Amino acid sequence: MSEQLEEEVWARPSAESLRQLVDLQKGRISPRIFWDDAIYRLELERIFARCWIFVAHESQVASPGDFLTTTIGEDGVIVARGNDGQVRVFLNACPHRGNRVCFAEAGNARRFTCNYHGWAFGRDGALLGLPAEEIYEKTCPDFDKSELGLMQARVASYKGLLFATFDPAAPSLDDYLGDYRWYLDVILDTDEGGTEFLTGNIKSWIDCNWKVPAENFVGDALHAQWTHNSGAVAMLGSGVGKAKQDSVYQANTNGHGMQFGFDMVGNIMTLGEPELVQYIRERETLVAERLGKVRSRMVAAMGSATLFPHFSFLAGLNTIRTWNPRGPHRTELHTWVLVNKDAPASLKAKYRRGVMRTFSPSGTLEMDDGENWENATRTAAGVVARRQKLHYGLGLNSKVEHEELPGNVHLRKFNDSNQRAFYGRWLDLLCAEDWSQVPGGR
Amino acid sequence: MSVSQVQEPHPADAIRSPRPPQFPALPDPRLVFEIEQFLYREARLLDEERYEEWLGLLTEDVHYWMPGIQARYRNDTSGGPISERMAFYDDDLLNLRRRVTRFMHATAWAEDPATRACHIINNVEVELTDTEGDYRVYSTFVNCRGRNEAEESWLAGRRTDLLRRDAEGALRLARREIYITQTVLLAKNLNVFL
Repeated sequence: MSEQLEEEVWARPSAESLRQLVDLQKGRISPRIFWDDAIYRLELERIFARCWIFVAHESQVASPGDFLTTTIGEDGVIVARGNDGQVRVFLNACPHRGNRVCFAEAGNARRFTCNYHGWAFGRDGALLGLPAEEIYEKTCPDFDKSELGLMQARVASYKGLLFATFDPAAPSLDDYLGDYRWYLDVILDTDEGGTEFLTGNIKSWIDCNWKVPAENFVGDALHAQWTHNSGAVAMLGSGVGKAKQDSVYQANTNGHGMQFGFDMVGNIMTLGEPELVQYIRERETLVAERLGKVRSRMVAAMGSATLFPHFSFLAGLNTIRTWNPRGPHRTELHTWVLVNKDAPASLKAKYRRGVMRTFSPSGTLEMDDGENWENATRTAAGVVARRQKLHYGLGLNSKVEHEELPGNVHLRKFNDSNQRAFYGRWLDLLCAEDWSQVPGGR
Repeated sequence: MSVSQVQEPHPADAIRSPRPPQFPALPDPRLVFEIEQFLYREARLLDEERYEEWLGLLTEDVHYWMPGIQARYRNDTSGGPISERMAFYDDDLLNLRRRVTRFMHATAWAEDPATRACHIINNVEVELTDTEGDYRVYSTFVNCRGRNEAEESWLAGRRTDLLRRDAEGALRLARREIYITQTVLLAKNLNVFL
């Protein structure tokens, strides 16, 4: 592995100044966190280069040589399965002159060869060979091919989801996810055969700060009935009904959150495919045997979720998405469709089309989101707008104990508690100089 | 690599006599004119948000497909856009109708003020098929959308259509394939038919 420099020296915002921007007790947040360059730069360092970041589903790199390219923050990475069957994640930047070494989004490759000088790297990221190798050996006293591989990240998986981090001091993935695994199982573990991503990946640019959609999915149940009324009319034939507020919850742990009820099919109804609703209903008993009665009622229920920092999903609606930062005011949205591997092919096709027509750039529900998120970001260009403290005070007194739901549980879905928890974790990470300073048990 | 090792990219005879493309015979210009006018009128219906009339141009079994585009290496055997991959549109008439329902609904907040769209249609080629009254039509488009004050987004692409003459003699769109040039859609949404 190539030599790594110490952390860059630059004028980082102080922990004290950051804490002034986020008041979790009152539920007030400054729009500056969606706009300022210095905060964004600190996020790339202390969140994206530090946390476990989702990079791929195992099904996308099923065989040796299968690869895809994606990003961790603004760092390009290659996710590749080696000849030994292991999945590795390495930097998509040549240690010679820094050029990208892979330009395809996905495929199968024996090696990754840099276009610039022909340095060739194996499926495991190791430097295999380079033109004029003998001259390097003659004239570079410290030349050692084994130290000139592509920079490797740590990789770990949870039930098919692959995560990577470039921080050697990060806690284990299991610790990072904590109790959130219980909630992830609602989408990942309802069937013996496990899950897969359907092929393809729709990407788009939204000119918003990456946190705006991430906080929307972590707990903004409130916007659905207003923003998405037209989409609901299109897909269901009627507007969004009055949401029940008893026996619906927000839960969070380590900044990861989910808002949900136990209506079992509220989300999946939106796809406009009655056979998929039927599929969920038929499997209720089976899922209850695997996950218990409570979660069997959550599998496709109305709700939304974000795994900190940038991985979001809608249970039952089966869209999986990441909000990839491209500067403080731009987000590159990547979306996939998750299905049970053993689901019939005809139903997988219905999921694919259903997700496309609801939650994709052309989707009847998603189309209205981007407009909100861009403008909720752009107003923060104004000096006076930045002086405003935004209201995140809903449900300050809604914390409850629940026998079966792990994490911090709050009653009622119209509630900002998950969003406050998201920003609590965000603040902890930005204020900490390394993982040892990140408070646990949030 | 020395100069003497540089190979000719093609054998010399191929340079002297490249093979001409095999295009089918040109159809009757009146048919080409009719189809061009169909496409231009269709584009104007979309620009003017006359979606009900636009739906009326489609056959009952219409398939409207705009696949997602991926950058893959040339030697990738899985090839170009395939129907199993995620798409922007992969719709039948019912689902196009659902999209129109949203566009036209009073609570489609992102459509008010209206998106200003302009479809520029060009490079129209018409080919007869083995089926009487079915025409394969190639065209290209540039689409510009303006939103609010200063937002603008551009899309360019190629289309392959199947037009069919119905029992009354009118042309209808039975199939459309749309291939854009972007792998990452450089816009927040796709609130337009292409």
